[in-house]
Amino acid sequence: MKKIIIYIRSASPIGKAAFLLLTAIIILSIFGSQLSRYPHDLSSGKSLEAPSKDHKLGTDDLGIDLWAQICNGARISMIISLGVATLACGIGSFIGIISGYKGGIIDYILMRFTDMVIVLPQLPTMIVLGAFFGPSIKNIIIVLSLFSWTRIARITRAKLLTIMEQDYIKIAKGYGASFKYIYLNHIQSQILPIIVLCFIKTTGKAIVAEASLSFLGLGDPTSKSWGLILNRAMDFNGIYFTPYWKWWVASPLIAIVLLVVSISLIGRELENKYDFKM
Amino acid sequence: MSKNIFKISVGYVITFLFIITINFFIPRFMPGDPFTYLSSDESGMNVTYSDEEMQKYKEYYGLNKPLGIQFVNYIRNVLKGNLGYSIILNDEVSKIIISRITWTLGIVIISIIISCFFGTLLGAVSAYNRNGLIDKIIYSVFMIISEVPAFIIALIFLFYFAAYLDIFPLSGGFKPFVEYESSFENITDIIHHGVLPAVSLSFINIGNFYILSRNSMIDILQKDYIITANAKGLNKSRIILRHALRNAILPIVTRIFLSLGTAIGGAVLIENVFKYPGLGTLMREAVFFRDYPLIQGIFLIMAVMVIIMNLTADIVYKKLDPRLK
Repeated sequence: MKKIIIYIRSASPIGKAAFLLLTAIIILSIFGSQLSRYPHDLSSGKSLEAPSKDHKLGTDDLGIDLWAQICNGARISMIISLGVATLACGIGSFIGIISGYKGGIIDYILMRFTDMVIVLPQLPTMIVLGAFFGPSIKNIIIVLSLFSWTRIARITRAKLLTIMEQDYIKIAKGYGASFKYIYLNHIQSQILPIIVLCFIKTTGKAIVAEASLSFLGLGDPTSKSWGLILNRAMDFNGIYFTPYWKWWVASPLIAIVLLVVSISLIGRELENKYDFKM
Repeated sequence: MSKNIFKISVGYVITFLFIITINFFIPRFMPGDPFTYLSSDESGMNVTYSDEEMQKYKEYYGLNKPLGIQFVNYIRNVLKGNLGYSIILNDEVSKIIISRITWTLGIVIISIIISCFFGTLLGAVSAYNRNGLIDKIIYSVFMIISEVPAFIIALIFLFYFAAYLDIFPLSGGFKPFVEYESSFENITDIIHHGVLPAVSLSFINIGNFYILSRNSMIDILQKDYIITANAKGLNKSRIILRHALRNAILPIVTRIFLSLGTAIGGAVLIENVFKYPGLGTLMREAVFFRDYPLIQGIFLIMAVMVIIMNLTADIVYKKLDPRLK
């Protein structure tokens, strides 16, 4: 915790602003149901009310409060993106570390496999998998992480290859140090900042990917994320000819942009700090 | 050299087989089978097959054979160009795809031209004024733009230019039910509909082109001959365009092919925003109606296009830059 505070203090003004925004959205996602007066899944007013004191962001076609939906959507985005980032970083760093440490044929096979997954067109494949496995939060997390680990694996492998060339590793190996010993004493401290950075970047990417999937109607219909709100709004007949888009489309749109941009700014800030480009 | 190309190609052929395998096994790993799916139709039509009928259909579609033989048959069909039969559109999948693919390729190619041109130009300007005010402004604008997902930008364009200002049409690729008086009118109509999708699609790649061009320009602007050109008192645009940009263009050319690959994937979303009649919109319809043969067919075509683009990028990259040998 102390480290984080020191880090924020040393950040640039833009980084600080991004951090503030992200904290606000995280608070929204945790305390969303306390912060909104109305439920996010039941109608609580007339349909398509304009923003007012009562309904801060207005209501959608079923009369459900949009502010409550945005709060709930923040939670879903957070759950999905953190889930994806955890899974992807786990798989990716595992494959990267094994590949870089072992080298030889194992490295070759793992890297060819990684190349193959990288070449696959992401969005169409996600659509196919999403369509066949059916929409649920769990499936979306799995499908998204299937595509997010590749970059992490490559980066950790590249880093590990440079570490493995160091003399102290060679000497340690010469003394008969086991993988576990070398990993804990020499590798972990060097690889951890990179994985943290990857984690943050993957979170941002996962939010975009989830929003895209649910915008196409492949999101979990029982848990309304921001993309799904957009999807509903765009499917509404005459959304272009009525003023409803001013709150119905704009609020999830702004929410997505703010979250994605603030995460990417924080990622950039970290990149500058560790002097490391992805 | 040709040995090198062969080596690269082998990797891509394996990827292609990998994709076909995915395509083949996904529906077969699903719980249940297609006839149970069809039996309990979601749209209210209740169709149930008896056991004998199921047996008959399974035999008809070759689903009672062992997986290995099914797989071989599937690959044979795909290589013949036979992608199956669409359930919703009652036509061969390959025919449907051919009728839609030009729309997608059209906006993809135009978007690449836009993003390549403006990205490179702004990158060059930015590099020339390195660390100046102009550079900082352009750089930070691009940093933010490249993080915002393109379909969000497309939505903003849609609501601002099409719905609010009413300059461009809201959706579709052409005016429905219109008899054109001349082919010129036809073409202008299609262009009019294609502007917003192509421009918003170009935002997927413009950031990459910008960064690439900026970095390679910064490298080149430090070379001696640029200093000479400056000392000779040549004007700015001549230095940027004739002396520097020409040499900085190499990495950009190779990037074009890679960008085509990403743009094809990105087009799926953009087309859906504008209801543009390309493959992406078709894919969404197919997903909506659970038309599995169509989904798989589109996926396969898109994957093949992306693979070919990546392969070309690899080869061109090695050809253009002899240092990479």
